[in-house]
Amino acid sequence: MRMKLIGLGLAVVVLALLPVPLSEFRTVQLATVGAYFIAILGVDVLTGHSGQISLGHGAFIAVGAYTTAILMANHGVQDYWTIPIAAGVAGGVGLVAGVPALRLSGLYLALATFGIAIAFPTILKKFDHFTGGSTGITLFGKPTQTGHGAGVLGLTNNEWLYALTWTVAVVCFLIVWWLVESRFGRSLRAVRDSELAAAASGINRSAYKVAAFGISAAFAGVAGALLAINIAYVSPDTFPIQLSLFLLVGAVVGFFGSIWGAVLGALLIQFLPDIVGLIPHVNTKQAGPTTFFYGLVLVVLMLALPLVLRAGAAIANRGYSRAQ
Amino acid sequence: MTNFLQQVVSGLASGGIYGSLALAIVIIHRSTGVINFAQGEMATLSAFVCWTLLDHGWSFWPAFAVTLVLSFAGGVAIQQVLIRPLQGSPLLGIVILTIGLLIAINGLTTWIWGGAAKQFAGPFSTSPINVDGVAFSKQDIGVIAVSVVVVVLVGLLFTRTKAGLGLRAAAVNPVEARLVGVRVAAMLAVGWGLAAALGAVAGVMAAPSLFLEPNMMQTVLLYSFAAAVLGGMDSPVGAVVGGLLLGVLLNLTGTYVHWIGGELRLATALAVILGVLLVRPAGLFGRTAVRRV
Amino acid sequence: MTRNLCALVVAALALAGVATATTTGTPGVSSSTITIGSSGPLTGEAAAAAGVLKGADAYFKYVNSRGGVNGRKIEFKYLDDAYDPAQTVQNVRELIQQDNVFALFSVVGTNSNLAIRDFVNAAGVPQVFSAAGATTFGRDYAKYPWTIGYLPPYAEEGALYAKQILATSAKTAKIAVLYQSDDYGKDLLSGFRRGLGSKARSLIVQTVGYDPTTSDVQSQVAQLKASGANTLMIFAFGKFAIQSFVYANKLGWKPQIYVNDVASASSIMALDPAKTAEGSISILWGKDPATPKFKGDAGVALAGKIIKRYVPGGNPSDGFLVAGMAEAFSFVDALKAAGKNLTRKGLMTAVTHMNESSNPFLIPGVKVHTTPTFRYPISAVQLQRWHQGHWVPFGGVVSTKP
Repeated sequence: MRMKLIGLGLAVVVLALLPVPLSEFRTVQLATVGAYFIAILGVDVLTGHSGQISLGHGAFIAVGAYTTAILMANHGVQDYWTIPIAAGVAGGVGLVAGVPALRLSGLYLALATFGIAIAFPTILKKFDHFTGGSTGITLFGKPTQTGHGAGVLGLTNNEWLYALTWTVAVVCFLIVWWLVESRFGRSLRAVRDSELAAAASGINRSAYKVAAFGISAAFAGVAGALLAINIAYVSPDTFPIQLSLFLLVGAVVGFFGSIWGAVLGALLIQFLPDIVGLIPHVNTKQAGPTTFFYGLVLVVLMLALPLVLRAGAAIANRGYSRAQ
Repeated sequence: MTNFLQQVVSGLASGGIYGSLALAIVIIHRSTGVINFAQGEMATLSAFVCWTLLDHGWSFWPAFAVTLVLSFAGGVAIQQVLIRPLQGSPLLGIVILTIGLLIAINGLTTWIWGGAAKQFAGPFSTSPINVDGVAFSKQDIGVIAVSVVVVVLVGLLFTRTKAGLGLRAAAVNPVEARLVGVRVAAMLAVGWGLAAALGAVAGVMAAPSLFLEPNMMQTVLLYSFAAAVLGGMDSPVGAVVGGLLLGVLLNLTGTYVHWIGGELRLATALAVILGVLLVRPAGLFGRTAVRRV
Repeated sequence: MTRNLCALVVAALALAGVATATTTGTPGVSSSTITIGSSGPLTGEAAAAAGVLKGADAYFKYVNSRGGVNGRKIEFKYLDDAYDPAQTVQNVRELIQQDNVFALFSVVGTNSNLAIRDFVNAAGVPQVFSAAGATTFGRDYAKYPWTIGYLPPYAEEGALYAKQILATSAKTAKIAVLYQSDDYGKDLLSGFRRGLGSKARSLIVQTVGYDPTTSDVQSQVAQLKASGANTLMIFAFGKFAIQSFVYANKLGWKPQIYVNDVASASSIMALDPAKTAEGSISILWGKDPATPKFKGDAGVALAGKIIKRYVPGGNPSDGFLVAGMAEAFSFVDALKAAGKNLTRKGLMTAVTHMNESSNPFLIPGVKVHTTPTFRYPISAVQLQRWHQGHWVPFGGVVSTKP
């Protein structure tokens, strides 16, 4: 525990100093990484700890982003105050979605949420009086934008976005940490590992699973709010199925259930295009190669994961026998 | 009335495509319990292979036959290299792997063939046949006929051949099947190969009317999921009937429910998926209910 | 614990705020280079439009091979946004903040240009000759002084088709409209309605929209046919336009078809296997290399030479490539006019004082003319009719001034 706290402290120091050597653009890219990080934390809670899969988290992100955009553009709410509201709205939607999800086994939940991710942008476009349709909503220069895009508190705009996002991200991380270490987290995993045993020990399985859905969606909502604030623009095409799938890639990279690994996954989502660009003779002007490598990473990880887990178990066992 | 019939006819033509892909999804699902999310992209890849052969001056039917063989081999290879090592691990892991495959194949086709739409000369004429004001083309009839013929062939394969019996046995009870001498591992590979070939049929049938590009089957995949769910996830006949029904349903709701219009077709398919899964998980033709947790 | 962490964050961030370097001189301009940037759909359903960027890039390379502009070579960096405006925003940020581009040139797509407009105007970066036809890019210069479009406004294009229908078949026309249900399609539709004026209500019998993420427009075309229309307006893009031709043919429907400029490039039209497009009407302003009339034309010959040399695998009859070259030619003209001492303000002055009649890639009679209060570089077009696999211009050059 103490080691983890020290690790966290170090991470925060690194985070705080990181923008110093980096360019403006890298800084704002890292802000985007922060938003992905939060979304992946949410996927971790849902898939890693409660065993439910969602391929539709892009839709919850969209709910959060649109909550923020509509509040900022039409209702004069300051950008950072929209974040908790976006969490609440997306979380509420998540709770509602979690109830029917109870009736679906993993495979069919994957299928249904995949459908949601594909169809959601067209639904956003349909309600164009509310969402601005395919034109989207521009937030840049709105009075509710802190610093009006010109920076604040002696920070440039990009540094401010970075600071805001990662401050929220650290808070989210602490919340998730507390959640998974708490009694709630243990019960959640008990439900995941054995429905029967959990029921026998008096845990209300349904309540836990629905709660996990709501919490996970709330994190996605926060991520959406921050993406909207960072990009200062939302449109339905910003939340394609690819976003949901990339989140899954990120979550797998971070290993399901390991909230520390989430940051790795978030970095990968943002920087894989740059990494692919380093391969000689690969033209990253076309999205093809980058997309191919996203997929390849996921395939390879899924193939390697059982090996990694088995190896881990073997090492753990050896340690155990030595201790004996 | 003419408009109504017209919409039904062109709905059936689209539905034939949804049904063919749904059939591929169902074949894999009933033999391995996995939902293959990459089925649509595999079909697109097959269509691109066929297009490349046509582009090199091949005539259609030889190109199609070679495409089917290559797709079958590709399906077997995917099962052998990627799926088999995961046998026995949680199904969800395999499903996530197929999602990785979806992304990777989409990237690959974009990488190789570029993003622009390509013309794909199909085997059937598109010149119109007019019956009492309702028009359709040989292409429409061809697509519907091919999907029906394919499902009949698949049915015969499963019920009348030893290999089919083996396939079913391996799916229903792999342990006992192995005891009576069925080569279960080989059967599972054949199942993937078969599905890939069926997907190739869907892709090649779709390409002339949808125009070939890397994302061609992305929305079709959702329609095919809806078709498979509607028909019952383990019923081949249900998949094709579900596809045809869905094609008609989407056209009619798009035409007559003004609020849905042309813009909410995807959302309608989603509603079908959710509605069937929650209300009647077995679908129209499924024997066993989708497992509830 | 948490409070301490917060304090730490704030302290470190304050530290971070101090250390930002500033650059002097004009960004993106060195003694030997000018760096400009763009963003467009290199992949996805609108990928055909990427030809504009490739064509422009090829023309810049050609200019560079002949010594560049005022002794400087043009470096053109364009990124893929897959037609997602939010990705355009991120690309443009990268171009401005990371690559320090001098100006944005020919960003593709109405929504994409709208999404970045506030940002680039606040940053004071020229957003020049956008490959988008919304009227607002020419009209709202008071609010957005750094933005200027290039294409003839879509709304005027729609109005032009209305005029043509009123002139040729006002008595008999029953019009069906297929439109892409976004700004682009709706702009064309509203201009068309305006052009028909009081007749719009009686002449238009059916309008149907489609979402560009859909797989096909088969059902929509069947619906339009059932309306009994004899005239079909296709306000669509790429494969959806061709699908419309093919489906109309499959249904045995032979209406008079009008297809909007962006969807009517010969390279797209050639995808129609059924030759249903015969007799369709569209507009042109750039020279279409596939048009027989321009065989032997010096501009088309030059374009062919440049494509062969600088666009590997490029289709020499791709109208998007030539459109991109036309834009690039005007841009190079503006750069020349802006002089050796190149500034962003100087570029804006140049692009708003265009009087260019020598653009070899534009059809005869179409000039690039702008003033600080008239910002529609292309404001004249000609009608054309599809005949035996080619576009054939007819009538004179007509104005599309709003």
